[in-house]
Amino acid sequence: MNSYNIEKKDMNILLDRFLEDYKVFGPTRPGADSTFDEITSIKQLHLDYTSTVLPPKKFFHPPKETLFSFELKNDKFTTKESIQDKKILILGIHPCDVHAILKLDKFFSTDFSDTYYQNRRKNTVLVAINCVEPSEHSFCSSMGTGPYLDEGYDILLTDIGTKYLVEIGSKTGQKLVEGVNLRKATETDFHEKERRLKLMEKKIKKFMNTTWLPRIARENLDHEVWLDLGEHGGVDGSFPCLSCGSCSLVCPTCYCYDVYDTMDLSLISGTRNRELDSCQLLEYGEVALGDNFRRDRKDRIRHWMLCKFGAAAGGKNSSCVGCGRCIRVCPSKIDLTEVAKVIRGGKQR
Amino acid sequence: MNEYSPNLAVIKKVRKETHDTNTYTLEFSDKKLQKSFSPAPGQFMMLSLFGIGESAISLSGTSNNGSVTTTIRNVGSVTNAVLRLKEGDFIGMRGPYGNGWPLERAEGKNVLIVVGGMGIVPLRGVVNYIKNNRKKFGDLEIIYGARTPDDMLFRYEFEKWKQIKNTRLDLTVDELPIETTSKCKIGLVTSCFPSMKTHHKNAIVLVCGPEIMMRYAAKCLETIGFKDQQIYLSLERRMKCGIGKCGHCQIGLKYVCKDGPVFNYADIKPFIHPL
Repeated sequence: MNSYNIEKKDMNILLDRFLEDYKVFGPTRPGADSTFDEITSIKQLHLDYTSTVLPPKKFFHPPKETLFSFELKNDKFTTKESIQDKKILILGIHPCDVHAILKLDKFFSTDFSDTYYQNRRKNTVLVAINCVEPSEHSFCSSMGTGPYLDEGYDILLTDIGTKYLVEIGSKTGQKLVEGVNLRKATETDFHEKERRLKLMEKKIKKFMNTTWLPRIARENLDHEVWLDLGEHGGVDGSFPCLSCGSCSLVCPTCYCYDVYDTMDLSLISGTRNRELDSCQLLEYGEVALGDNFRRDRKDRIRHWMLCKFGAAAGGKNSSCVGCGRCIRVCPSKIDLTEVAKVIRGGKQR
Repeated sequence: MNEYSPNLAVIKKVRKETHDTNTYTLEFSDKKLQKSFSPAPGQFMMLSLFGIGESAISLSGTSNNGSVTTTIRNVGSVTNAVLRLKEGDFIGMRGPYGNGWPLERAEGKNVLIVVGGMGIVPLRGVVNYIKNNRKKFGDLEIIYGARTPDDMLFRYEFEKWKQIKNTRLDLTVDELPIETTSKCKIGLVTSCFPSMKTHHKNAIVLVCGPEIMMRYAAKCLETIGFKDQQIYLSLERRMKCGIGKCGHCQIGLKYVCKDGPVFNYADIKPFIHPL
């Protein structure tokens, strides 16, 4: 595929081209933290961000969505699906998040295909950007999901000083840049990219040894670390888990959802909705007559950890990508890389 | 096709089982769908009542014309609303989902069925299947436990079941009211194991009931010589999708909806025993 370069100050030309065909979402900085939001002018765009609070999962598997609306008539019902076909472009998405989307793609297409996710995904263009500045919590290099990307993008940007290197990854991406007057990338550009990414890799300070990790996790179901995480705290200075579910909310690969109906005041029409759920919440494992399969906090945190280590039903499709968001938001300072070290027996508490 | 969208089904018949449980005969309104519909014993359906919700419900039987029966106890908002429905009412239905009981693996073997309470529902199909294909299977033994004799489901079929060749039916209850004429034993299902006829050689065990019952039944069976691989359990979870996407039914590396609800005890042993 072709490669180009563009001066940073000329990014508005590229953005204007994107805006012609798509609704563009990208990293903005409304306060201290970055977030993916709609971009209408170059001023809003902050491509030099480290990590957003919420992952771009929200565009494909939204926190809350309507599956279909229904109407009851003569005791029968009719349903109307609400299908999203708005074309969107996500600008400045990091490699870890792209990998998370690739995982969700696999998850929502195997065995049964999820129409809602697939529709949104089909109508989305990904313009990724390689990481040149890690957040203090990222450990993507250990997970093989960063800091640079070699699949899954339509267009890939890399910060190479005063310019961005623009690499094309798909036909859609090629079509998008065709109208724009871009210079062909030179050998020097690629050397600079290489140099910066190597430098970036050295800046990452967090690591997780993933060799045999799913198996080690599965074989340590009765490890004492689970009780420590849930009730006692003290896993590398952590406090007991509060079961708040923040980790699931910010995780780019957490897919679990709840389904519920809402009814109009008229009692003849309503909607069936789905909303993100978390295995950390007490209600998650509840069944009829109040029985609960994960009543204890230690069971719930264990399940979440196993899921992120790739040892739950989602397998690799819901495992960690190393973005570090859960570590950042956890009010109890629970760090899954430390948990991995403990179940490996490599660290004394 | 959208997997989440339920199809219209009509209630053909309602039969009262106990004070809080009914058996419904259901048929899809769409004739084409009805024709291609052939669930296996042990599979489940997602029943939906709009405005109230969706729930995973076991099938208690199938008939030749493709209509299915399901037996529902009033335990939550959806089942409560279902129990208010009458013949001719409509309900949303999608499925069947799940794997069902390993009937092929049970062929040529003695079958022991251990059920508690509502656990009889997914196994009624198996009993009827064995009745219709009697030669394919060895001896059949059913151990059924319920709270009281009045809480027993399909009581009207017990006599028929007993008449199946080489079949033994053992009933036990937690409480026996003083005025009762019932000849049930008192005790848990595991208390019936000493008088059980089925030997662990060349046998297969199908267990369904509350998880605590299955846990101890499986453990007891183990102590009298049954191998983990011979025991099959049907699990219950509050499923939101039925197709392995909502995550609620995860057990270890499996989804109960997609890979189950019937599991080999050996596969899920570490996950159903509290650690």
